[in-house]
Amino acid sequence: MNTSAMTCEPATFNPAQAAPRVHGKLRLRFEARGECRRTILAESEQHSPLRIVRAFQLDDGGSLVHLHNLSGGVLGGDHLDLTVQVGAHAMAQVTSTGATRIYSSRNHAELAQQTLHVMVEDNGIVEYLPDQLIPFGGSRYCQETRFELGANAGLFWWETVAPGREARNEVFAYDLLQLKTRISALGQPIAVENMRIEPAMQSMCSLARLSSYQYFSTFYICRTGVESSRWLELETLLGTLAEQLSQPSRTVWGISSLRKHGVVVRALSVSGRELTERLPDFWRVAKLFLYDREIVLPRKVY
Amino acid sequence: MPLHLLWLLQLSDSALPIGALNHSFGLETLVAEESLSAEGLEAFLRDYLQELAAVEILFCGAAYRLGRTNQDPFPIQPWLDLNVQFSAYKLARESRGASATLGRRLLQLVKGLTEDPILAAATAASRETETDIHHCAAFGLAAAALGIEEQPALLAYGHQSLANLISACQRLLPLGQTQATRLLWELKPLLAELVRRAQENDFDIDDAVCFAPLVEMGSIRHPRLSTRLFIS
Repeated sequence: MNTSAMTCEPATFNPAQAAPRVHGKLRLRFEARGECRRTILAESEQHSPLRIVRAFQLDDGGSLVHLHNLSGGVLGGDHLDLTVQVGAHAMAQVTSTGATRIYSSRNHAELAQQTLHVMVEDNGIVEYLPDQLIPFGGSRYCQETRFELGANAGLFWWETVAPGREARNEVFAYDLLQLKTRISALGQPIAVENMRIEPAMQSMCSLARLSSYQYFSTFYICRTGVESSRWLELETLLGTLAEQLSQPSRTVWGISSLRKHGVVVRALSVSGRELTERLPDFWRVAKLFLYDREIVLPRKVY
Repeated sequence: MPLHLLWLLQLSDSALPIGALNHSFGLETLVAEESLSAEGLEAFLRDYLQELAAVEILFCGAAYRLGRTNQDPFPIQPWLDLNVQFSAYKLARESRGASATLGRRLLQLVKGLTEDPILAAATAASRETETDIHHCAAFGLAAAALGIEEQPALLAYGHQSLANLISACQRLLPLGQTQATRLLWELKPLLAELVRRAQENDFDIDDAVCFAPLVEMGSIRHPRLSTRLFIS
């Protein structure tokens, strides 16, 4: 069994037809410096179309960067690799400047691929808070996300997936969306997902899948080493908020402790905006509970 | 060997005292909150099987193959890794706990009946390392240890899972015995197809794909239902 490598090749994938159009790379390393351990962006390697402009210092000592995709979105055949390293005691916040748009493939064999690999060293924290992922009609996209957490390392990562360009009535018109996720703490997996969605082959309105909901969000909240009983406390705390915000058939929220070191917040909704607006509420409660600190919303236009 | 068939029938019987009938794996919430009805049950179960049961069959097969590796001593670490991986897949705490409870009870029960050294080693290792042992993995390993053939073992695992779900639905929905029997009958070809595909993929658990967010949500939200018939 190979658990370290994650491959993403759908059954119909033909490598000969899918030579990368562009191979974008972005590697960032954050480090804590000085007695007060302010985080700086210590290293950055950028290959178009992935870019960051600069790092912003946050009031809590952390460092914020905005990810840009100069192409305006992910095109069929693109291969984008993002690597983020967060050094010991560093605190990095990463967000996007807008929704990640997955454009239609010109050729149906063209798969767009993005890998995200985030390593958080001992006592570090990463807050990876992108905007929505919007797969356009006819797009084929595979995303592989890996987080590796060291001792007492923290993770706040959310992701919201739209059904498509809803305003144009383009809903579940994409060909393929595959989202592979693996979160490990101290070398052991604590959360693994491998969603493969092909709306033409699967009924999205099935009660096993989305029923009348169209958007879904996942928010992982982890801190290595925190006792299981504390996670159950946090599950209860966030669960109360989830109940207040849930309205079955419109939006449902749910919270569950992971096997170790974290909880996951899940949400299904008919409204993407509702999910975007409410995710920070869960973040706020969890950050206070785990770190006794207020959240710092990423500086951007909301 | 005729005994193999008899053992398999007993291990996959819902009357086996491991508590399988106490769990709905989130279906109770779907009935309460999301209008799961008797009319839509067959379509729902088809999707359920293709997403969730397919993953369990993969893990069951992977555990079976571990049990038949003929390595001496039994490869403990891959066995524990397999179960850790399955725990990481099961994000909903209640469903994960239910699967682990059934797995632990099944393994202990069969170990007590057979005194098989592989099952003894697997049980001891999970206890020492505090690793959850899941139902699908325990079933696969137990079947291998008993010398039961691979395909019947996987079919039996899938069948008992489906039968238990339908039984849960009978207690949650206006679903008569004849309807329930027909459902179980009609879904057998799909189960057989899932087993065939899993064998074709050599039980590669990295190939386990699943998109069943509403079922998972049902399990996640189950602890907060005001009235509950089931543990999960």
